Amino acid sequence: MGRNIKFIDISKCDGCRACSVACKNWNDLPIEIEPYNGTIQSHQNVTANTWNVVINREVVQPDGSLAWHFRHTACLHCEEPSCALACSENVITKREDGAVVIDEEGCVGCGYCVTNCPFDIVQLKKVKINGKTYEKASKCNLCEGRIAEGLEPACSRICHTDAIQYGDYDELMAEAEERLEVVKKRYPDANIYSPAGVGGTTTIYLLTEKPSLLGLPENPEVPSSIALWKHVVQPVGKMLGVGAAVAVAGLFVTKKIVQSQTHHTDSEHKEGEDHAG
Amino acid sequence: MQYSDVLMVIGANPAENHPIGFRWITKALKNGATLISVDPRFTRTSQLANIYGQLRSGTDIAFIGGMINYILENHLYHEEYVANYTNASYILSDAYSFEDGIFSGYDEIERKYDTSKWSFETDAEGNVLVDKTLQHPRCVFQLMKQHYSRYNLETVTSITGTDRDTYLEICKVFGSTGQVGKAGTILYAMGGTQHTVGTQNIRIFAIIQLLLGNIGIVGGGVNALRGESNVQGSTDFGLLYHSLPGYIDVPKAVPEENNLAGFLARVTPKTGYKVNNPKFIISMLKAYYGDYATKENDFGYHMLPKISNGKNYSFMYLFEEMRKGGLEGIFLWGSNPVVSSPNSQSAHDALANLKWMVAVDLWETETSAFWQSEAGKNYADIDTEVFLLPACSSYEKYGTVTNSGRWMQYRWEALPPKGESRADLQITHELALKLKELYQDENTPAARQINAMSWDYGTDHHPDFDKVAKEINGYDIQTKRQLSGFGELADDGSTACGCWIYCGFYPEEGNLSQRRDNVDNGQSLYSNWSWVWPMNRRVLYNRASCDLNGKPYNEEKALIWWDETKQEWTGYDVPDFIKTTKPTDPAGSKPFIMQSSLLGDIFATRSDGPLPEHYEPYESPVQNALSSVQFNPVVDIFEGKHNPRGDYDKYPIIGTTYRMSEHWQSGTMTRNQPWLSELASHMFVEMSEELAQEKGIGDKDEIIVTSARGEIKAYALVTKRFKPYTVLGKKVHHIGMIWHFGYKGIVTGETANKVTPIIGDANSNIPEYKAFLCDVRRA
Repeated sequence: MGRNIKFIDISKCDGCRACSVACKNWNDLPIEIEPYNGTIQSHQNVTANTWNVVINREVVQPDGSLAWHFRHTACLHCEEPSCALACSENVITKREDGAVVIDEEGCVGCGYCVTNCPFDIVQLKKVKINGKTYEKASKCNLCEGRIAEGLEPACSRICHTDAIQYGDYDELMAEAEERLEVVKKRYPDANIYSPAGVGGTTTIYLLTEKPSLLGLPENPEVPSSIALWKHVVQPVGKMLGVGAAVAVAGLFVTKKIVQSQTHHTDSEHKEGEDHAG
Repeated sequence: MQYSDVLMVIGANPAENHPIGFRWITKALKNGATLISVDPRFTRTSQLANIYGQLRSGTDIAFIGGMINYILENHLYHEEYVANYTNASYILSDAYSFEDGIFSGYDEIERKYDTSKWSFETDAEGNVLVDKTLQHPRCVFQLMKQHYSRYNLETVTSITGTDRDTYLEICKVFGSTGQVGKAGTILYAMGGTQHTVGTQNIRIFAIIQLLLGNIGIVGGGVNALRGESNVQGSTDFGLLYHSLPGYIDVPKAVPEENNLAGFLARVTPKTGYKVNNPKFIISMLKAYYGDYATKENDFGYHMLPKISNGKNYSFMYLFEEMRKGGLEGIFLWGSNPVVSSPNSQSAHDALANLKWMVAVDLWETETSAFWQSEAGKNYADIDTEVFLLPACSSYEKYGTVTNSGRWMQYRWEALPPKGESRADLQITHELALKLKELYQDENTPAARQINAMSWDYGTDHHPDFDKVAKEINGYDIQTKRQLSGFGELADDGSTACGCWIYCGFYPEEGNLSQRRDNVDNGQSLYSNWSWVWPMNRRVLYNRASCDLNGKPYNEEKALIWWDETKQEWTGYDVPDFIKTTKPTDPAGSKPFIMQSSLLGDIFATRSDGPLPEHYEPYESPVQNALSSVQFNPVVDIFEGKHNPRGDYDKYPIIGTTYRMSEHWQSGTMTRNQPWLSELASHMFVEMSEELAQEKGIGDKDEIIVTSARGEIKAYALVTKRFKPYTVLGKKVHHIGMIWHFGYKGIVTGETANKVTPIIGDANSNIPEYKAFLCDVRRA
């Protein structure tokens, strides 16, 4: 089997946000009503319970005409995922099918993945286990259960304009190149986005504008400190048994759990409200 | 739609509000089509269009009228089509005239036209005089040309506020579909209809499409994008007060219609397919009244409810009647007027005059809860008895839905209804059985009607759907054989048929609306998928896709054609007439068989004129530049303290209400759904950056919108997608608001309709939600 990718041609998106609903439906995620933000965008950014958001931007073109862009944003599933490199417990893995997935059970909520994601995708959520509240990292998993069964992710399945497609790398990249030529006629800065700084991505965009105009970093990279941590410090630490770095991480995690327990009454109440709907 | 060369979306926003239908537009674009979006604001459809043209809300007739003028001046129309398939060649009588915005026959006091002034010249035998060269100075073509010559580029763009170059480009690109073999389509929705000139807006779409030869062909047409999934089905079945099932006029309580013959005389024209109306009506009466209906008693005609002559029973009039205390009770089936009606506070207040209300809905709505303190009412003051019957959702019931392509599609129940909720069909059935039981020993007029009614759908709580469906289709009363089409219907009481246009969907071989054969039999007609009225014809008036000799204008997009060797019509679709009718025969040469003339009406009688004319909305920021008549001269005005008209001096901004993708109608179905509620959780009002700056309104600010009727509080959405217009030399602002919000549900907000006026279209009475005057300030 060839490599599969999720290809998002944002020039085809009409911002209907069926992908957002399909995602919540398949992954059974709760609602998060945010304060009014001055646009029709539902959430400012993805959260641990809202794995995809359609970002919208109004951009005046050089010829004076207006463009209203919609960009489905969710985890890009990097080929060299910083989150996995940063993970203190090695519970974030890049699977063969391209999905970067978090094993929630093993996650200790240290938050290293959150601070190191170059796309600001991974977030922490509060989870209650046996009456105790823990923090767990959470994000889009490319509908790992669906793709393992040969299905496509919920977002691409629902997309009525085929702005989101899931399938063979070669076929979709050929389409991307073809579309790029068409889209460039209207949007001269159009580009294909799958940054090399993170080793490429399993989600590949055809963008109508420069990445930064659409809320994406121009040249994201795997933070060098993280590479160092994963490839040098952590193995050494593990070799020594209880390494200094691991001990520090452990301490940090412990602190986080204590903090979250003291605050859990508040968060419980909020979740309760969400579900009341 | 995928076969269109040019698609013009005007008064619709399919990318948002008809996203699944938009797939076909996406396909057309992939095939190289040009998409034009004409809208007061830049929408999600505009984003995907090749050309976006801004027009001021309420100026569609000026916009299209100017296009017609351009098409005529530049000879872009399909001449053979216009001369032979439309009434452009008809010669008008001398009584027809038009001057300063008024057609002949106008009665200023009654605000009504004597439409007999708009008739055609005839010979001694009564045949209309025609000039197929279209040169006669009194022919429809020449008089129409004269009418729209006033709609020149300067005048039109100064009225509509459209950028001149963009307007010309639209005229040119859409006009190009007049070339023989090209296809252009127009898509409209409530942006076209919800105006005091709503019917004439759609009429002018039909006229331009007839001129370009775009009706009856693949990729053509005037496409109504419906506001609800089954609007087509409900109007087909006589949901509107003035029509019986199958678009037959309702009888009136006048002496001439005291008996069936009198009624049939009014509703049966001398020519066209409707000469068969007596067969359809008598078969319908047999379905309604069964054995009770005999030739001797006029097949039970006297049991049919009649409407008072001249009385209007449509939505706004019903609420006016209710406001005056003239209505005792109301059944609301999935209807939420406290949010949806114009001037909604007055509708809300009127509900308290009812003795009883039965609301059939999935949730408690703003309307069924109108008496609660949450609704701003003191329930101790309200005596209305309210019954809330829980309805199940569309996934929890079976039945058919008819889309705007007239496809009748059966849907199976996906899961059983929750709790005690029930399907509408079951609720109606139980109600009918109970009424029959309660009235059986009475002999009052009401009881006689109920007792005469045949209700043979089983005695169980669940009616037998098959029995209902088979009766709609029609059957031979003697043999109980299911009929194969309305050609079999008779006027002697030997056949029963609930809705003649649907005759043929359930023949002896079974329910064809259940067919799911997705093999394309040509031109993507999928003729064995579900069933389409009439007679499974996928493209109405498809004769118009061929030339006079029956040869397709475009071989690649052929629907039907005349086979000279077999001496019959053949092809992918079903022709409108007996297939051996020669293309040169009178019956085989004129495509529009439902018209008495068999021709497409460029000139057509409507209550407000035979040719669409631009009038300003009831509330407008400017004077009408085309005549001294400010607004539609025949609309009814609902006077009273509850419904004042706003002045430009006090309310200088144009307001429009509309929907967004994430919510549906009054929000009952979506604001009670968590995932949709979070997508759009706040009531907002869209405005331009220029207006926001003038008014000192910042992004995310709370604002107050006021009109002569009331005010609402909402959030400001400041956007580049709205731009002020330059109209007749002055700067005019426009704001837009979603109308989905109310005080019930997971997310709540103020109801936009508190500011809209009670005024509507002169023909259909749909309210003018799309153009009214208001003002806005920071809260």
